[in-house]
Amino acid sequence: MSEGLDYKFLIDTFFVALSGVPIALAITIVALMVALPLGFILALSRINRFLVLHRFAQIYVSFVRGTPIIVQIFIVYSSIPLLLDSIVTKYNFEMNVYDVNPIWYAFIVFSFNTTAILIEVFRSALNTVSKGQLEAAQSVGLTNVQAFRRIIIPQTLVVALPNICTVTVNLIKATSLGYALSLQEITLRAKVAANVGYNYVEAYIDIFLVYLILCSLVEYIFKLYEKRLIKYKAVNA
Amino acid sequence: MLEIKNIQKSFGESKILKGVDIKIDKGDVVVILGPSGSGKTTLLRCINFLEKADEGLAVFDGIDINLKTASKRQIHSIRQKTAFVFQNYNLFNNKTALENVTEGLIVGRKMPKEEANELGKKALNKVGLSEKYNAYPSELSGGQQQRVGIARAVVIDPDIILFDEPTSALDPELVGEVLTVMKNIAKEGTTMLVVTHEMSFAKDVANRVIFMDEGIVIEEGSPKDIFVHPKEERTRKFLKRVLPEDFTYYI
Ligand SMILES: Nc1ncnc2c1ncn2[C@@H]1O[C@H](COP(=O)(O)OP(=O)(O)O)[C@@H](O)[C@H]1O
Ligand SMILES: [Mg+2]
Repeated sequence: MSEGLDYKFLIDTFFVALSGVPIALAITIVALMVALPLGFILALSRINRFLVLHRFAQIYVSFVRGTPIIVQIFIVYSSIPLLLDSIVTKYNFEMNVYDVNPIWYAFIVFSFNTTAILIEVFRSALNTVSKGQLEAAQSVGLTNVQAFRRIIIPQTLVVALPNICTVTVNLIKATSLGYALSLQEITLRAKVAANVGYNYVEAYIDIFLVYLILCSLVEYIFKLYEKRLIKYKAVNA
Repeated sequence: MLEIKNIQKSFGESKILKGVDIKIDKGDVVVILGPSGSGKTTLLRCINFLEKADEGLAVFDGIDINLKTASKRQIHSIRQKTAFVFQNYNLFNNKTALENVTEGLIVGRKMPKEEANELGKKALNKVGLSEKYNAYPSELSGGQQQRVGIARAVVIDPDIILFDEPTSALDPELVGEVLTVMKNIAKEGTTMLVVTHEMSFAKDVANRVIFMDEGIVIEEGSPKDIFVHPKEERTRKFLKRVLPEDFTYYI
């Protein structure tokens, strides 16, 4: 350490860390694609008190929010192979359950996790769009689906967008926990590179920078999108 | 043209509508009066299926529709023939005034956009908002918002427009502009069922007044019958409470 930073290693490893970005993004995008619609539907069930789903959503949210992601990862990572194994032996599939790419476990955990968070985000956003607008849409002859697509969802999205941005950024950061699944994402790649010459400080700086750049970029994109959506609120704001 | 028979509706234990019958002919302007909580809003909502009645029949141009068991198609057909003006306007906040008015035409009725815009502009002109086609609801005063609400109802050319206290959320100085618009469309022969506390509107514009209390129709008749010769004690008491000191009935 006394010789100061190894700049060559710093720069090389930056690109190693950067090569983990696609995996982090893949997990983020898959989780959002599952969680956005599912979270919205479950949020609706909590508002409309559609009984069975509503209970389920309530319990689900409290489970996911009440436990650390890393624990959820360990549970999924250790229990799903067992479950799969019993299914595979029962039906004689040709498959080695321990060869499953760990990214699937990441997809599962982060989708579940993000869904729970988005249920709450959408629930509070839906509450800000008055039920009266839905009724007005019905009374001029729109079907429920049309009313949601054209009136309710666009407004809900605008309200929820800042929170969805926060959720997305948190999700990107949380994908660093993928190292617990031996996933070749940003953190793991840089750490492995550092193992050779004990350049941990450089590696951590690189990891830090990559997440910072990635998250800033995502926030910037959200801001742009928000500006486009929000034109009708200009006067209120 | 529209006949409502024996509407009943309960919320939980409390019976809000206890069998209401109303008959409306084409071109009628019928005003419903009654103390707050008497079920006026619930009645209008049941007619437009925003609330499902426990019992009751709507006869629309001779076609019976059971308010309790109506199919989706029947509900849709009633909504095509009726329009609703809400106490809180309920404009679509993400749409401009013109889009608010044309939404039902373009999406609900699959009308081509140019044709819908044409009709929408005409309707907005009619309510005095020719300058505000592209304004969002957040840029409009309460009175202007309610006039958009009325244009949105008028534009679909319904057989009847249901008004639920259209002026009671407004600042007093904005009530007049909305009532003027309502008078104008009444003059054009629009059939209207209006819940209001504006006695001057009932007196000047209505051709029939219905007094409701505790979920039943207590008395109905011409404005003169109700305001000058109310038969029922409850009607007299209510009118005494709500009519201004200087309210006089001219024929
Ligand atoms: N969705 C509802 N759930 C429970 N009670 C309701 C509901 N809507 C109206 N009520 C009750 O029904 C009664 C009549 O309400 P309403 O029809 O709004 O009367 P009005 O319009 O004459 O003031 C009130 O006591 C109100 O609390
Ligand atoms: Mg009311």
